[in-house]
Amino acid sequence: MKSRIWISCLLLCLCDEITFLLGAGTVRREPISEAGQVNEDTRLLKDFSDRVQAYVKLHKRLEASLPPLKPTPDPAKIVSHQQALAKKIQAARQDAKPGSIFTPDITERFLRLIRNEFQGPNASHARATLRQGEPVKIRLGVNAGYPKGVPLTTVPPTLLLNLPRLPPEVEYRIVDHELILRDIKANLIVDIIPKAIP
Amino acid sequence: MRRFILFVPFIALTWSGWVSPALSPPPKSVPTLSAESQELFLPLRPNSVRFAVMGDNGTGHRKQYEVAQQMAGYRQKFPFEFVLMLGDNIYGPDTPLGFHKKFERPYKALLDGGVKFYAALGNHDDPNQCFYKGFNMNGRKYYAYTKGNCRFFALDSNYMDPEQLEWLEKELRNAGSAWKICYFHHPLYSSGRHGSATDLRTLLEPLFLKYGVNVVFSGHEHLYERIKPQKGIYYFTSGAAGHSRRGDIRKTGLTAAGYDQDLSFMLVEITGDELYFLSISRIGKTVDSGVIQRRVTSHVSELSGQLWLAAPIPDLPKRQIRKVEALH
Repeated sequence: MKSRIWISCLLLCLCDEITFLLGAGTVRREPISEAGQVNEDTRLLKDFSDRVQAYVKLHKRLEASLPPLKPTPDPAKIVSHQQALAKKIQAARQDAKPGSIFTPDITERFLRLIRNEFQGPNASHARATLRQGEPVKIRLGVNAGYPKGVPLTTVPPTLLLNLPRLPPEVEYRIVDHELILRDIKANLIVDIIPKAIP
Repeated sequence: MRRFILFVPFIALTWSGWVSPALSPPPKSVPTLSAESQELFLPLRPNSVRFAVMGDNGTGHRKQYEVAQQMAGYRQKFPFEFVLMLGDNIYGPDTPLGFHKKFERPYKALLDGGVKFYAALGNHDDPNQCFYKGFNMNGRKYYAYTKGNCRFFALDSNYMDPEQLEWLEKELRNAGSAWKICYFHHPLYSSGRHGSATDLRTLLEPLFLKYGVNVVFSGHEHLYERIKPQKGIYYFTSGAAGHSRRGDIRKTGLTAAGYDQDLSFMLVEITGDELYFLSISRIGKTVDSGVIQRRVTSHVSELSGQLWLAAPIPDLPKRQIRKVEALH
């Protein structure tokens, strides 16, 4: 009888130890997984930032070849600067395709950020912002101009808080369900994430 | 007889504004009310800060020109120095002709008179407008400037990114002036068809409260609305300087006074701790007026459709008590 009790105790202890070890294993695995995710996010963010910076470098280099745009009483000068800059960038990026900045990995990360905003506690406010901003439905192409005279949809400010920051030359805009990266001065579509807004 | 039948609907359509005013030349004279109804009830104190406010003006339509003429007329009696533009400065493409037809020509009398326009961007505006000297943005989408004892903050509510929020907080923190006035396109509180910009409000209102912003002007809604003070801040929507939408003010409980029957603009005078305001329609009818005390305890109060000065000011005539346009 005593030996049976001993064996039972031993088995219980063994089970407990195994459970503990497994549990500890799980506990140990989680930080690694989170850290891995953080590393992955950092890598993606850096990748995105590098791609945007490369674009901005091109923008600046091409703009430097034009007479500088300073505040002017002549709107024609603003328009001609915009058109000349757009022409140069379009020529330099004539092979640009969707995904040159929003790569599949970066797109996946952006979709997660956007989903969080549009499914989170602030979702109704964010959707209201899009509605109030007089949304438009237009077909856009990478390296094409944003149609003149078409309003720029207001981007929910709480979404902007969660998206990676951008240099002043470019901005995010939402057109229908697409998130676009837009060159402000040249009025060009730099890249697009289709069906980004749920 | 047949000619008469065709003629009558044409006259009716023209009269009601259905015939595109863009096709019509600017009017030689604006339809006006009687001299009595145009009396100006602003104190015109020496060294006061005087300005006009208009939003959503850049249509190029005949009625925009009529509002502009009305503004120029009022400037003879109330020599305001500058104009706040609340966005949608140029509808349609930003062509040189567009700037001419929708800004330079309608406001020529004011521009020639040395009036400066300080623009904020609306959702119909290309951000490159910030390089247009006529808008005094100096190449910036958001900016601040001082007039007398007032600090003005022109914001880009169409793209309120973290950089702009950080800039605003820094500017508000360092603004030593007595009055802090913010203006931007989308109203944080509104009874119009678009409604309140609640997402924007969650970010801006805490800053306004923290740093003591007194008054906020917005456009976007094509109407005039004075909001009941929200947490001590006075909000005005004045987005009907280019066109208006009749019947757009809905019952929300936010409205202190409103007008959506015609186009309108505002005149404001700030002297010491008092801000006097008038909202004026296209035909020169005063649709709202009052005074705001900068002291936290003071407020604009209304009694059965009448707008009264919250604190009686001895040297102002009694006629300053104005009837507020009834809300539907």
